Amino acid sequence: MTTTELLTVHPSAASRARALKPKQVVYAIIGIVILVIMLFPVYWMINASLQPSGNTLTAGIFPTNPSWAGYEKAITDQGANLVTSLIISVGAVIVCLAIAAPAAYALAQFRYRWISVALLIILIGQMIPGIVIANALYAAYNDLGLLNTHVGLIIADASQSIPFAIIVMRAFMMNIHPSIIEAARVDGAGQVRTFWSIALPVSKNALITAGLFAFLFAWSDFLFALTLTTTSDIRPVTLGIYQYLGTQVSNWSAVMATAVLSSLPAIILLLIAQKYIAAGAMGGSVK
Amino acid sequence: MTTATPIRARRRIRRDDVVKFMFVVPAAVYVLLFFGYPIVKNLTMSFQDYTTKTFFTGEAPWVGLDNYVTAITSNLFGPSLLNTALFTAGSLLGQFVIGLALALFFQKKFPLSSVMRALLLLPWLLPLIVASATWRSILDQDSGILNRFLGVFGLDAVPWLTSPDVALIAVIIVNIWVGIPFNVTLLYGGLQDIPEELYEAASLDGATGWKAFWHITLPNLRAVISVTLVLGVVYTLKVLDVILGLTGGGPANATQTIAIRSYQTSFIDFEFGVGAAFSNILILISLVFAIIYLRGTRKAVDE
Amino acid sequence: MHKNRILLTAAAFAAGTVALSGCSGGGGDKGGDGGGDASTLTVLDYYNNEPDKTLVQEALDACAEEVGVTLERETVPGADLIQTVLQRAQSKTMPDVLMLDNPDVQEIAATGGLAPLSEFDVDTSPFTQAIIDAATYEGEVYGLGPAVNTLGLFYNVDLLKEKGIEPPTTWDELKEASAALTEGDRYGLAFSAIANYEGTWQFLPFMWSNGGDETELDSPENAEALQLWVDLIGDGSVSQGAVNWTQGDVKDQFMAGKAAMMVNGPWQIPSLQEADFEWSSVEIPVNHAGEDSVAPLGGEVWTVPETGNDATKAKAAEFVECMSNEKTSMSIAEARFLVPTRTDIIDEYIEKVPDMAAFGEQIKTARARTGKLGADWPDAATVIYNAIQLGITGTPADEAFAKAEQG
Repeated sequence: MTTTELLTVHPSAASRARALKPKQVVYAIIGIVILVIMLFPVYWMINASLQPSGNTLTAGIFPTNPSWAGYEKAITDQGANLVTSLIISVGAVIVCLAIAAPAAYALAQFRYRWISVALLIILIGQMIPGIVIANALYAAYNDLGLLNTHVGLIIADASQSIPFAIIVMRAFMMNIHPSIIEAARVDGAGQVRTFWSIALPVSKNALITAGLFAFLFAWSDFLFALTLTTTSDIRPVTLGIYQYLGTQVSNWSAVMATAVLSSLPAIILLLIAQKYIAAGAMGGSVK
Repeated sequence: MTTATPIRARRRIRRDDVVKFMFVVPAAVYVLLFFGYPIVKNLTMSFQDYTTKTFFTGEAPWVGLDNYVTAITSNLFGPSLLNTALFTAGSLLGQFVIGLALALFFQKKFPLSSVMRALLLLPWLLPLIVASATWRSILDQDSGILNRFLGVFGLDAVPWLTSPDVALIAVIIVNIWVGIPFNVTLLYGGLQDIPEELYEAASLDGATGWKAFWHITLPNLRAVISVTLVLGVVYTLKVLDVILGLTGGGPANATQTIAIRSYQTSFIDFEFGVGAAFSNILILISLVFAIIYLRGTRKAVDE
Repeated sequence: MHKNRILLTAAAFAAGTVALSGCSGGGGDKGGDGGGDASTLTVLDYYNNEPDKTLVQEALDACAEEVGVTLERETVPGADLIQTVLQRAQSKTMPDVLMLDNPDVQEIAATGGLAPLSEFDVDTSPFTQAIIDAATYEGEVYGLGPAVNTLGLFYNVDLLKEKGIEPPTTWDELKEASAALTEGDRYGLAFSAIANYEGTWQFLPFMWSNGGDETELDSPENAEALQLWVDLIGDGSVSQGAVNWTQGDVKDQFMAGKAAMMVNGPWQIPSLQEADFEWSSVEIPVNHAGEDSVAPLGGEVWTVPETGNDATKAKAAEFVECMSNEKTSMSIAEARFLVPTRTDIIDEYIEKVPDMAAFGEQIKTARARTGKLGADWPDAATVIYNAIQLGITGTPADEAFAKAEQG
């Protein structure tokens, strides 16, 4: 009984209740060191973006004479593209989760003989070079009038993450204890209700993790952005960056500046999402 | 226990089954529409003589296994296969081990941990073209910051991207860097799903640290670990942009992989049939790992 | 019951696949936009970055007005142009006017996807032979380009003056000058030996000026040219990094003072104008004094794809002619630091833009890459850059080409 009580205390309340242990400060410092090492290339990119030449050939460790030309260009040119990217990425997450979650649940919990075949097909889909898919899609989109539309890109980007989301969420959902599902069914809940009210809340971590990746796939997609748009009306920022990369001359400081600026809104969204991956989503529900 | 269902005639499809079927129909339609045609197309293309002319005239004469023979007997096939194996094994090992270590580390509660976890995803947010350009400048032999850093300790400048002996290692290092966020996020999510009570109960029995990891963490994480590994293999086998951006397959074809052979054969030599053959060979290799994974999960479900 | 379900699913899968293959392959007869109505032309090119995008837009608009059409323009990044062209070809949605990089013209013409300009009585006589060669397939000319570029040797005037060195004109002088100019972390020379067509492009002036040829790759002349590069790197006058440098990287090295000379093209001039040192250019050095310096021809041409719509094709041909007339040729050349392709105005151009003097002279003897091998050029180009990579990483120069040919 005492164990369950300990668990129901909200984690942040617990840490607020007592002062910061020195252990935690040490961990925080280790975390920062790890971050510095892992993110050094990102820092180097920022350094390059602040150099007047756009490269680090004559640069020191710190940009002592920052040039904001790249950022000025990036801000004036890429504002609309950033919004487009955000719309498409968020849309792709919604479409992806709406379609993949039920399928993942079914493949995890229902017993079908053809589950292996289905999973195999999904996995094979992940192996196809993106370019083969893009070529096939162009013709179809052209016929359907989906070129240069937000909806078109959302659907296409979601398609890339749906198989992945199914496979990943299924792995998480296989860990749902059968007893809670059965308890709901015994209480008379139909399949959909069981899924919606019992399985989904318990699979919060799975949903958020899959959603994160769906966002990242859509955000960093270049192939579909290139293939499925023919005008500059709708231009995700991955394509927008190519404004500065010509066949012979490239404006690297603008490229790097765009990359830095476009990462900011995405990081904020990811930060918010990460906070929700909480421990013990499933613990405590098994009696 | 499931409620006892009255015996119905075998041919009637129960309403319950229809509902259950509808859970997967949208996804099935999606996968079919977006992947069905390309899978079939990629396969048929590998048996045809598919060139630039085909795009204009639609003619693609059937050549049977000729493309595969061309692919397998090409001089670069053996080296690229070897490089593919080394690249995949090296990347996966690095990404997974570091990813797991980081995921375990972030299990601990300390201030700013969720901010740090979000920031770790930055490598994935950067367009690959920018990441490659940045790494190229970091790894530059003469003025790259890495060699300058090594120079502080008196080490000679390493020809990271310019020596056939070192280039593959350099490319693996960059790919590990790119893949860590993927591994950390998946494994962290999986770790968070393991109920705390299991650890509490185990610590009451005296099992902490390594013992807890071995007997509690690993078994419960198995499903997520196998997913991470199989997807890691499938994605790493396909890796193209990282290598193209850093070395273009060079120097002197030292970083050629089957994926690059496929791309270059199709889009630089315009031999799409042979390129498709290369990519199907890659898919076959991935398939082996996929089947191993599926056998594994089927056993787990049956347990 | 389960068996039926599986059969049903399999049938649905197969049916869906067949339906989709019908969907993407045929695409219906979309031949040419605005069927019959020739007042709008669709244009596809790869000038997707500034300032080129706007500069070319000005030229496009001027010609649109002259020919009396409106334009719908699409730009794609350079590396993706051919892929886009193929996609369009397959779905029968080719643009009315297509820009192609000159070495790709013969490959695309060989598919039957371009209309020969003779169909529209386009006069091709005022243009340099090299650009006509590049755009000719089986005796028919398929495109015209207003201005072209090539390679030259840029050098840091201040540094050379400091060491009392004259800009080199022969290979021996090049080796001496490069060695003398190498000091500290500065190399004497920089060029691009990267493992793609850019590396081949940079090597061609040395190969061709020495009498080497792409029709016979394993030749002593080619080996000699490769040996020059290998020696320059071996002496330490050129960084080993060249094996992975693009021409953009080479320019960065030169601008940062890490190389005293560089092999590069006039498109770098806008960047060079921001250099804090004085620079100039000469033709690429030759092996023995008195030989001709032969450099490759770069630049794009405008073509008329076969869209099945005769009215728009005729208009498109008029448009292509306009894009290469004297006015357009001169204005594009001046704006983008290229050399006009019309032989009669080259000298006038050099007077107007003295910075381009070396390149203007070099163009007169420039050679098209696809001039001799046509659609087989890509294979030869691949062998060349592989040979370069092998040579620089240790294979003896006289074996490198043979080994690369096996590849």
